[in-house]
Amino acid sequence: MLAAHLVVERDPMSLRTPLAAFTLGFFAFTSGCGRKEYVRGSQQPGIDSAAMSTGLDKQDIQQMLQENLNNLRMSPVMDTWRKGGGKTMVAVFPFSNETTEHIESQLAAILSEAETWLVESNAVTVVARDRQNQIIADIEGSRNAVFNPAHVAQYGKQLGAQYFLTGKVQTSDERTEDARRVQYFFFMQVIEIETGAIRWQHKAYVTKMVR
Amino acid sequence: MKRHRLLFGGALLFVVASTLTGCGGHELRTIQARSALDAGQPRQAIEHINHQLGVDGDKDLPSDLTGDNALLVLDRGTVQQSLTQFKLSEQDFQASDKAIDMLDLAHNAGDSIGEYMFSGSSSRYVAPPYEKLLINTLNMINYLETGDLSGAKVEARRLAVIQRYIRDELKEANNSILGLGGFLAGFVYEKSGDADEALRWYDDALSFAGYGALSAAVRELAPRAGYKSPRIAKALAEEAAAASDDGADVICVVGYGRVPHKIPKRIPIGLALTLVADAIEPTNRRAADRLAAKGLVTWINYPTLAPDQGGYSVPTCTVDGKSIPMTEAVNVSAEVTAQWRKIEGKIILSAITRLVTRYAVGEGIEKVGGKGPLALLASLGTQATLTALDTPDTRSWETLPARVAIGRVRIAAGKHTVAAAARGVTRTQSIDVKRGGWATVSLQALR
Repeated sequence: MLAAHLVVERDPMSLRTPLAAFTLGFFAFTSGCGRKEYVRGSQQPGIDSAAMSTGLDKQDIQQMLQENLNNLRMSPVMDTWRKGGGKTMVAVFPFSNETTEHIESQLAAILSEAETWLVESNAVTVVARDRQNQIIADIEGSRNAVFNPAHVAQYGKQLGAQYFLTGKVQTSDERTEDARRVQYFFFMQVIEIETGAIRWQHKAYVTKMVR
Repeated sequence: MKRHRLLFGGALLFVVASTLTGCGGHELRTIQARSALDAGQPRQAIEHINHQLGVDGDKDLPSDLTGDNALLVLDRGTVQQSLTQFKLSEQDFQASDKAIDMLDLAHNAGDSIGEYMFSGSSSRYVAPPYEKLLINTLNMINYLETGDLSGAKVEARRLAVIQRYIRDELKEANNSILGLGGFLAGFVYEKSGDADEALRWYDDALSFAGYGALSAAVRELAPRAGYKSPRIAKALAEEAAAASDDGADVICVVGYGRVPHKIPKRIPIGLALTLVADAIEPTNRRAADRLAAKGLVTWINYPTLAPDQGGYSVPTCTVDGKSIPMTEAVNVSAEVTAQWRKIEGKIILSAITRLVTRYAVGEGIEKVGGKGPLALLASLGTQATLTALDTPDTRSWETLPARVAIGRVRIAAGKHTVAAAARGVTRTQSIDVKRGGWATVSLQALR
């Protein structure tokens, strides 16, 4: 409104001002139409560092896992497992998504990373995932073979596992007129199947924001 | 020298005009899809939308979702849902949810300058509150249809975030979309075993009329939950038939008709000035009055709402031939119209401002060119060109159902047939529910 008013009232001999304003504005609105290209991470090392969304990316996953697994490495339950000479059976159950983002595939990646870490630690024997899925299907019924946290004791007994490693991700998600911030809280825990006692638990945080 | 300036101005406008030529309004991009939906051909509608998006198939997303393509993906998401392509609809709603959010967050003063100087459609799209709420609400239906409570809970949480934003930042507490959202989110949490969260959502739903079907659910949840409110207490006090404990719950969701979409309208400046007489600034009023008196190229282009469709339909839903009582959960068309009424004056004002701007540019050319016929012609040509380029902002989520009805019933465990119908569109779905289980069957009759 103000812009239009100023144009009307100014010296009409000055053709350049309204036209220049029009042109500048026009090019401002039509800029940014560059051609896209594919880039290889190995040739451009910084490619992973930029945040692309408020979801979780590789860097977030590595940061959260590193914090939690470093803590697990030093925990009493890990000492117990080491003393067992790698014979202790551990199942890795799905991490639950309690966030405002559809991060199921990222959670699956976290699960695989944690599983790999446990296997490489040589402190425990990790139950194979497809065996776990079979047991879950047996207990829940093949039509609805979805992991149910309420039935972990049953799963554990069927699998012969003594402990299971699991976790959850929660968020605090806030939105204002010009920003959205998602704070992730990533919890991991080890539960003794026989007693249901939590033998280890730790948390890590990551915040993502769009503004 | 003056002649050079005039030529420079004319050339500049030619460049601008030729760059913008072909930029029809959004409603032109979707007219074929809407026509296909009117004809009861949702498959064809998707093909038209895919063509506009420049993608090969229903599962492909455009490489660029930063502009109005986000709206087309939203349109496609609803049509995919009507074709029971729930996974693809999930993908479309998820992608457009993020894109619409980014567009909304990126909205800045530059958009207002574009809106007031060039064209109503030059600014970034800002989704109205009902659209923001419906993205997550309709996507919840997709996850419920596929039995994915975890995914549905993500949508419920996203709905809660946007609900808080609309209530606290936009100061709109009573958007009736929240009634439907609350009903579905409550169901999601009820079936996830979270009684408190379920009651909190049902409490939201009960603040809107027409959710009598919730009484039985509230009665079952209340002993397991600590959440209390006057509406929950009232629901507990109502008479409700005791539901069988060994049954399963089925909810039926029927969307029907289509919301009014935006169409361009052209009115004389004199009429526009009458419509916004109380709101226009005196300086613009004087400039506009001068234009009205001049009587040349003095039309304004602005968008308005087309009629909605399907207002008088009666949706039905049956389980094994027995009717489920259906309640109108939300009148989306009424929300669209109410929202439009709030901004219509501003839209007309910005159209008048653009007209004044065009006049100023034309007048500048005329003054520089002198009193010769060439200058007059250039001035008129400039104004006419800019008028032609002024595309009314007709962007909106056009494939939304005009109304959504909802029903809930408890049935015996086992195999059943659910049939939903509205506006000549039917869906028959076999379900097999366990004791304590649940199922959701939806129909989108978008015609």
